[in-house]
Amino acid sequence: MSVRALDIPLAPSAVADEIHLLYGSHTGNGEAVAETLADNARQSGFRVSLRSLADIRPAALKKMRHAAFVMSTHGDGDPPDDAIDVFEWLESGGSNDLKALQFRVLALGDSSYTEFCAAGRQLANALVKRGATEVAPMVECDVDFADDAERWSNELLEWCRENLTSNAANESPGTPVAASGTSPTLQGIPITPGWSRTRPFPAIVERVQKITGLESEKDVYHLELSLEGSGFQYLPGDSLGVWADNDPELVSRLLRKLEIEPSELVDDDGRIRSIRDTLTRHREITRLNPNVLEAWAKRDQTRARGKLARQLAQYADSQRKQFLEERQLPDLAEAFPLKLDAQELADLLPALGSRSYSIASSMSMVDEEVHLTVATLHSNAIGVARRGVASNHLNHRIQAGDEIRVFLEPNRRFRLPKDNGAPIIMIGAGTGIAPYRAFMQEIEESNRQSENWLIFGNPYRRTDFLYQREWLKWRSKGLLNRIDAAFSRDQAEKRYVQHVVADQGQEISRWIEDGAHIYICGGLAMGHAVEEALIDAIAIGRNIDRDAAKQSISNLRRERRLLKDLY
Amino acid sequence: MSTDPLKLTPVEGIKARSDYLRGTLAQSLADDVTGAIADDDTQVSKFHGIYQQDDRDVREDRRRQMLEPDYQFMIRARVPGGVCTPEQWLTMDAIARRWANNSVRITTRQAFQFHGVLKHNLKSSIRTINRALLDTIAACGDVNRNVMVTTLPEQSAFHREVFEHAKSFSDHLTPNTTAYHEIWLNDGNSRRKVEASRDSEPIYGETYLPRKFKTAFAIPPRNDVDVFAHDLGYIAIRDGAEGGLAGFNVTVAGGMGATHGDPNTYPRLADVLGFCTPDQVNEVGKQIVSIQRDFGDRTERRHARFKYTVADRGLDWLHDELEKRLGYRLQQAREFSFTHTGDLYGWQRTDDGLWNLALFIENGRVADKGIRHHLTGLRKIAKIHKGEFRLTPNQNLVIAGVHESDRVAIDHLVRAHGLDDHATVSPLRLNSMACVGFPTCALAMAESERYLPELVCKIENLLEKHNLTDQGITIRMTGCPNGCARPYLAEIGLVGKGPGMYNLHLGAAWDGSRLNQMHQENIGEEEVLISLDKLFSAYSAKRLDKEHFGNFLFRTGVIAANESHRNQKENAS
Repeated sequence: MSVRALDIPLAPSAVADEIHLLYGSHTGNGEAVAETLADNARQSGFRVSLRSLADIRPAALKKMRHAAFVMSTHGDGDPPDDAIDVFEWLESGGSNDLKALQFRVLALGDSSYTEFCAAGRQLANALVKRGATEVAPMVECDVDFADDAERWSNELLEWCRENLTSNAANESPGTPVAASGTSPTLQGIPITPGWSRTRPFPAIVERVQKITGLESEKDVYHLELSLEGSGFQYLPGDSLGVWADNDPELVSRLLRKLEIEPSELVDDDGRIRSIRDTLTRHREITRLNPNVLEAWAKRDQTRARGKLARQLAQYADSQRKQFLEERQLPDLAEAFPLKLDAQELADLLPALGSRSYSIASSMSMVDEEVHLTVATLHSNAIGVARRGVASNHLNHRIQAGDEIRVFLEPNRRFRLPKDNGAPIIMIGAGTGIAPYRAFMQEIEESNRQSENWLIFGNPYRRTDFLYQREWLKWRSKGLLNRIDAAFSRDQAEKRYVQHVVADQGQEISRWIEDGAHIYICGGLAMGHAVEEALIDAIAIGRNIDRDAAKQSISNLRRERRLLKDLY
Repeated sequence: MSTDPLKLTPVEGIKARSDYLRGTLAQSLADDVTGAIADDDTQVSKFHGIYQQDDRDVREDRRRQMLEPDYQFMIRARVPGGVCTPEQWLTMDAIARRWANNSVRITTRQAFQFHGVLKHNLKSSIRTINRALLDTIAACGDVNRNVMVTTLPEQSAFHREVFEHAKSFSDHLTPNTTAYHEIWLNDGNSRRKVEASRDSEPIYGETYLPRKFKTAFAIPPRNDVDVFAHDLGYIAIRDGAEGGLAGFNVTVAGGMGATHGDPNTYPRLADVLGFCTPDQVNEVGKQIVSIQRDFGDRTERRHARFKYTVADRGLDWLHDELEKRLGYRLQQAREFSFTHTGDLYGWQRTDDGLWNLALFIENGRVADKGIRHHLTGLRKIAKIHKGEFRLTPNQNLVIAGVHESDRVAIDHLVRAHGLDDHATVSPLRLNSMACVGFPTCALAMAESERYLPELVCKIENLLEKHNLTDQGITIRMTGCPNGCARPYLAEIGLVGKGPGMYNLHLGAAWDGSRLNQMHQENIGEEEVLISLDKLFSAYSAKRLDKEHFGNFLFRTGVIAANESHRNQKENAS
């Protein structure tokens, strides 16, 4: 799938400087950026070493002179698994031992999260602290990374040509070497002809079906979209990016509260639109970020009574975070009303981001369709029912026949093993089961001979075992060797997937020894708990101490046999 | 009996492989990713008193939701003769509220039934039932089911005497297997039985009976048990009107179940075979069971009931076969007569000076709904009651053995919780009975328990129109032709055929001595009401003094003289 058309390394000259291209990538996007840069750098005559951070000994950094890092951030500002060992080493002390190193960082992130690009920043700071020199400021890319990544790559190559020795000085001097200029052209990413995040494909919705039972506390839907005409080719493990409008009702309420006329026109980056349109389709109003909160507090101070700022001042970081998580913009407006005009409001808010969902289908079974498993995010934390913008849109506002704007988000870090016989253990909670449905569809349609094990958790068996009929069918057909479930509320004491993992230490160790790949998908907290439980399970299963077990988890990670898709 | 294993029904194979009713139940219970048990285990579990069902109201929704059917279980607790203590009642009440659907169902066989029990609550429920000294083994399955006894509200001592015989027979016919204890009652994980204590079933053998087997004890003049509807019946005979128990007339080969569109299946009234003395009860019954074990049809479950075994071979054959096994021939049957199959409601003073109160519980469903707080009311009564409870074969309840001084308190609770329907509702309703049907019963083709109360209202209007309001008429409805509510013995029987559609049967005898006949096939409510309107009109105008509706229809030829199917069959052979 991810064929690199230009992967023809030129013979390195003895005099050429070596550039280390190192990536810590969660979804494989960073890896793709690094690969493209590597190709271009080789064509420019440099010696290139392209590796994942997981594949180097951290101390090897001491010997490097020129390095470029592509660093993605996930969840709450954490570095990807690949980079954990390097981060720990960097922060373990040490003095000016990286003095010889000149580097630059490209940070990938998602601006809808609070800690945007935090891992990239953390890396740059740590390197500088140990004596390395940052040759140019870090570039931060949002989900829509292609253009920024290309700019960074070109600048970097430019710098290399000016400062380093290559053995191809005559080749197309001074011109950017990146492939063809328009995004997205990064190699290694499946090409989605003509469609991108900024130019999404209008997919027709074919089915919207609730899949939690009548009395469930969870509101989970199964969606089927038609990709006919898109040319999309996705693989099990990939995600689908989705654009969703804000709830018009929520927008109206917000504007009423702020006493702004909905039809008032604003300038949205050169385009003139009504404030209602701007908020509905182009601004984030359901996820609050620290900048908005800060700006709101500031205005509250100058124009109202400053209550918000006083309240925030008393908060510890964790309280501030909770405050943000529990509220949407209309809640803020409700509690701390401000006098704002339409343009100020538009300028204050970040652009509406897309949402991404792990794909729950395999093209080998569903052809030109894509299936999603979407839980309606809802919160009643502050006594008002609030729903997530996209999940609510998908589950409750659209119906069969409607259009939804989508684009592919390949995830090369969450694929079935290349070895058809390698066993897989699929661990997931809630909608984290989605990619495993894609895996099983793929397995059913292909000749994979592997042993497969599902470990799933949700509150109640009766209502919350997502796609239960299919899992039972796969089990009775012998395609799925085991299902272990943790239905947290079906017994007196709550039981979660990590408890199943802990209980199954011996068996999991045996599977790992047989070459099993372990997948974890679901919420971040669950992911952490499962990983801890895995360490315990291995320690007990192999009768080794916890540090050794931790080491063996690190090894699995490095061998890409411990794969995670957490959100 | 066919011995060719290739021709045996699949259920026979499951029984044979089950290792005395174990099957893979223990594994099925441990599989926590499905609410179901393995297919074969759904047959085995019946012998343990457990039916796998699902909520059919949500079946289609759940298919679309990609969830398995909403599997849940019916648990039937055996209560010989329907007699239980207040403590046992309280336990049943607690199970209903904790693990079942907040209701206790009194069945037409005087048993307790719970609906909506989830798999992971089965063990707790069954243990609790057993701790209350009741059990569920053989409440369903191809064995002798709950043994019924006339509740006899007016004669305490005689009731007790007959009841003891019924209880003894029930115990005698209870399966021997230790599987029940092993699976449900042992602590910790179910262990394999010890090899040394290998199970055996001296009466049943390892494949048990070809089909279910039902036994009832009737005490004339009351025929509330519908003694002629059972495979085996004992009609108590006294020495003179007030004398002690002389013995029993033995009846054989009755049964209700039929299959739509299969003329080889039919309800059949039992025959009176002869008379036995009280000490012969267990041996006679056991030998009759063993004859069915050996001769019953194991190649076709529709044809496996004892009624077909006897109909195919004749009563003379049965007499001879029984004599061979007993070593003596049954005596000539004695005289007896029945008056009614319904219950005698309200307070009755018994011969020992105590009081019995028979309450009407519509369709046997004890629950709190609307103005009726039956579950709560009976819980409160059970807490103060010192006598016993008797579940009646008409799904009603007798509070038995009440001291004169306690009547006021019980009356107060009865009124306060809307348990006084017996004093207020129409005689038609008091003689109505419906099976469970939708949404839990897998066999239901049409509504029954949820619909009959509403239909009765409409028929009450017709009765009022024809000045028949005070006339008791038995009306019974089932959701399928298998006959749980004995619809073929009702003056008006409605047998479900499809959603909203029923076969209308008419003309059974008030005393349970004559089956009804199908009058119209596959009709809806409107046609039912039109037909009844016409017939009530004629009945109101032309009935004889005290003539019951069924007898009237029979006398006037609306219902053709019918010798019941067995004779057609016997004449043909």
